[in-house]
Amino acid sequence: MALFVAKRLLMALATVLVVAVLAFLLVHAMPGSPGAVSLGAGASQEAIDEVNQRLGWSDPLFSQFFRWLGDAVQGNLGTSLIDGRSVSADLASRLPVTASLAAGATLLSAVLGIALGVTAAVRGGLLDQLIGGFVGLLVALPAFWIGIIFVYLFAVQSSVFPATGYVPFEVSPQDWALSLALPVITLAVGGAAFIARQTRASMLEALQQEHIRTLRATATPTWKILYVHALRYASLPIVAGIALQFIGLFGGSVIAEQLFAMPGLGQAVQTSVSTHDAPAVQGVVVIATVVVVAVNLVLELATKFLDPKLRAS
Amino acid sequence: MIPNVAPAPADSTATPALAPAGTPGKAALTRFSRHRLFASPGAVAGLIWLAAIVAASLTAPLWLPFRTEDQDFTAVLSGPTAAHWLGTDELGRDILSRIFAAAAGTLGTSMITVLVGVGLGTILAMAAAGAGDRAEAVISRVTEVMMSLPGTVIILAVIGAVGTNIPLIMAILGVLISAGIYRVMLGQAKSLQSQLYVDAAKVDGMGALGISLRHVFPGLVNTIVVQAALIFAVGMLIQAGLAFIGFGPPIPEPSWGGMIQGASQHVYDAPWMMVPTGVVLALTVLAANAIGNALGKAPNAAASHLPSAAARRQRAKAVSAAGAADAPDGLAKGLLSVRNLSVGVDNGVRLVTDVSFDVEQGTVLGLVGESGCGKTMTALALLGLLPSGVSAADGRILWNGMNLAAATDKEMEGIRGRDIALISQEPMRALDPMFTVGYQLTATIRRLRGMGRNASRAEALSLLEKVGIVDAAGILKTYPHQISGGMAQRVAIALALAGKPRLLVADEPTTALDVTVQAEILSLLRGLVKETGMSVVMVTHDLGVVADICDQVAVMYAGQVVENGRTADILDDPRHPYTLALLAADPHANHTDMPERLATIQGQVPQPKDWPSGCRFAARCQFAGSACLAPVPLLSSGTGSGLVRCVKADELAVEGLDWVATDVAPHRLLDLTPEQLNVTEKDLA
Repeated sequence: MALFVAKRLLMALATVLVVAVLAFLLVHAMPGSPGAVSLGAGASQEAIDEVNQRLGWSDPLFSQFFRWLGDAVQGNLGTSLIDGRSVSADLASRLPVTASLAAGATLLSAVLGIALGVTAAVRGGLLDQLIGGFVGLLVALPAFWIGIIFVYLFAVQSSVFPATGYVPFEVSPQDWALSLALPVITLAVGGAAFIARQTRASMLEALQQEHIRTLRATATPTWKILYVHALRYASLPIVAGIALQFIGLFGGSVIAEQLFAMPGLGQAVQTSVSTHDAPAVQGVVVIATVVVVAVNLVLELATKFLDPKLRAS
Repeated sequence: MIPNVAPAPADSTATPALAPAGTPGKAALTRFSRHRLFASPGAVAGLIWLAAIVAASLTAPLWLPFRTEDQDFTAVLSGPTAAHWLGTDELGRDILSRIFAAAAGTLGTSMITVLVGVGLGTILAMAAAGAGDRAEAVISRVTEVMMSLPGTVIILAVIGAVGTNIPLIMAILGVLISAGIYRVMLGQAKSLQSQLYVDAAKVDGMGALGISLRHVFPGLVNTIVVQAALIFAVGMLIQAGLAFIGFGPPIPEPSWGGMIQGASQHVYDAPWMMVPTGVVLALTVLAANAIGNALGKAPNAAASHLPSAAARRQRAKAVSAAGAADAPDGLAKGLLSVRNLSVGVDNGVRLVTDVSFDVEQGTVLGLVGESGCGKTMTALALLGLLPSGVSAADGRILWNGMNLAAATDKEMEGIRGRDIALISQEPMRALDPMFTVGYQLTATIRRLRGMGRNASRAEALSLLEKVGIVDAAGILKTYPHQISGGMAQRVAIALALAGKPRLLVADEPTTALDVTVQAEILSLLRGLVKETGMSVVMVTHDLGVVADICDQVAVMYAGQVVENGRTADILDDPRHPYTLALLAADPHANHTDMPERLATIQGQVPQPKDWPSGCRFAARCQFAGSACLAPVPLLSSGTGSGLVRCVKADELAVEGLDWVATDVAPHRLLDLTPEQLNVTEKDLA
């Protein structure tokens, strides 16, 4: 087990490193030198060259990357070309927004998805078909469209929730929760549908296992067969599905943040890409990767822990 | 935003074994897929919708009422009107025209993602399956890394570098998605690669590429089409999402995502605007998903071991309509009496017909026959544990004043474990892999005996010792995968004994075990019968097991009992040709002089739907005659209380004929052709 954890940690580090190189190269392929971007249109070539010189833009790529990496390891991701702010500080203030969104959406989709999937698998018949149709519809609806509908229903028609904006937890926990509600629900709709499908299939597969017959032969009550034994057997693929869903939802926050005007990482990616703010793009790609890889690692270890065969070895 | 493509759930992978080799296989597969596709109304509607959208979009310039840039300032932000069927946007542009003008581009560029993603994923899967473990490990590692990346953020970074070059972005998206496709395909590609005909092709000197293309690829075609449909939908959603956050086609050009983005700005003053584009996008995604799901549906999924709540309610209703499960008294206590039992699939096909036997207290009855003769179905019916969709259709199972054939699941719960217990064929699969042996045993003991925690643990230890496990305390702590098959069967027997049952149903309990372990388990069972006085119904195809442990035997063929009686009578003096044949074909039976070659029984047990109305064994019988065409009753065989279902039984007994080892076709004594025998019950009715 220790060896397994060590291997996975190494893999995670390697993943982040590969993405860092990739991000570095992509940023260098962006149109416009840093000088041109930061000084804007109308700047003289001399001024642009001077900024580029200061940033070491013409140094070999190799040394530029390692300079960036050295700084990044110490927590310094450079300064924005647009407003001169520290990229690290900016992202640090944005991370809680996206993390709340993604975590909330993952949690909500897991709860809803497992409930729907288990119900469909267990109840069967008409209810199964109804849930199947409903879930199929949810999978097909684009999140941003659902978001607009929610805004229309809950913020325009009845002002239950604020339509846009984000209130930090420290300011007011209640407003924080209210400001997250619509974006979280918007993101969770698709996620819940995905997890419901995974759960239904896993539950049905669990119920096809022969040990279910043994349990019935020893008069195990039906609820216990379903919710202790079958659900336990199905938990492995369900948790794996939730892990995948978190990655998708973390990315999906770009759309939710745009739609609900939330100052998160997704918004940072969107603006920095539009303005060709190289250090910001590079920083946000790496930070997003670190978060996603870390959460994925934790969930993967959880899956291994759920499986007696892997736990024992 | 990038939905990660997870390995498809269990019910959406086609069985690779179904795929035959070579080009004829490919044709057959395509035919098969088409058949399934058109069987689903959703998929047909989806196909029609997609075709209509593409056709409408490509011909759009010919029929659209407005050009996409036409601005009608008299009708800005209008709802549906006679002039603008789906309304207009903030510049008074016709929404209908813009939706259809944008369709071809959206669908076309989504196809790029499909081609790159599914193509690359398939190639990687075939390469990993064909190139050995090391290559597979490397490719799998790389795809794992790809799947754990925040794809959306990376795609946006790419957009920063290359601009909104949509075809290129969709291609890169395909590369990211290919990792998920690879995961879905790998298992299937490996299973195809390990087929015997692939080994044969390798021996013939076919190269790795040739094998991949000729033998592996055709088997993957269905999965490829399924994944292509699903990724097509994903591609559309992502493309619309990108356009929504401002990375769509350049401004005046319409795109679905861009139009929804525009609508989101007017959710306060013109909420209608978001409806048409959103609905068209959702319908198109639904259409692609419907096609993928229809093709991906596994043709025959295994049956659940637990009927759904809906099925249980239905069963309870049927039972209460048929009358109570009470049976006439007067039967001896501890006697199991099965009378004219029929077991059928819900669609009416019978798997077991008119089976009767008795098991007296403390005796062992053997149910013998080839696979597919209905032995296991008969045995499971005793516990009410028939697979979903199969039930006792007729007859009675009398036990302690109850008719179990007409009991509800609730009533059976009081019988199972406490009165009648089960041991099954594969002990490893019969135990729950997620829980320790100790938990499974003590939970069962607590439930069936009402014992406390400590008492149940002590009882579990004593049960394990009773079934011959030395290190009982150690075994309690293990998980099923940590013990051997023989050990697992002992645990399963202990589990069955937990409720002190009066009858044990043993479904081929030794078949999956080593020969030495088989003997140990049989002797354990024999000891338990003597000690506890319980009865056993033993399902087996092994006449050695019968000779070893059974007091009575019922020989089953094609869902019927063809001969039953005392074990000694049947083994020494068999009356039914099928029993004769089984004995002649058994290498362990006491042949007076070991024959030069063992006899075989030509042909196979017929499928339940093909059972003739006459003797079901006639088509394979060396002694069959024209009299065998009529239904045959079970009559006294003349040896003790034995019964036999053969019109020629007396004749055979008198002449002392033996089943002979021969290559000669059946019906050697006879006057009829196999065609004549193929008269089904329906024809006669």
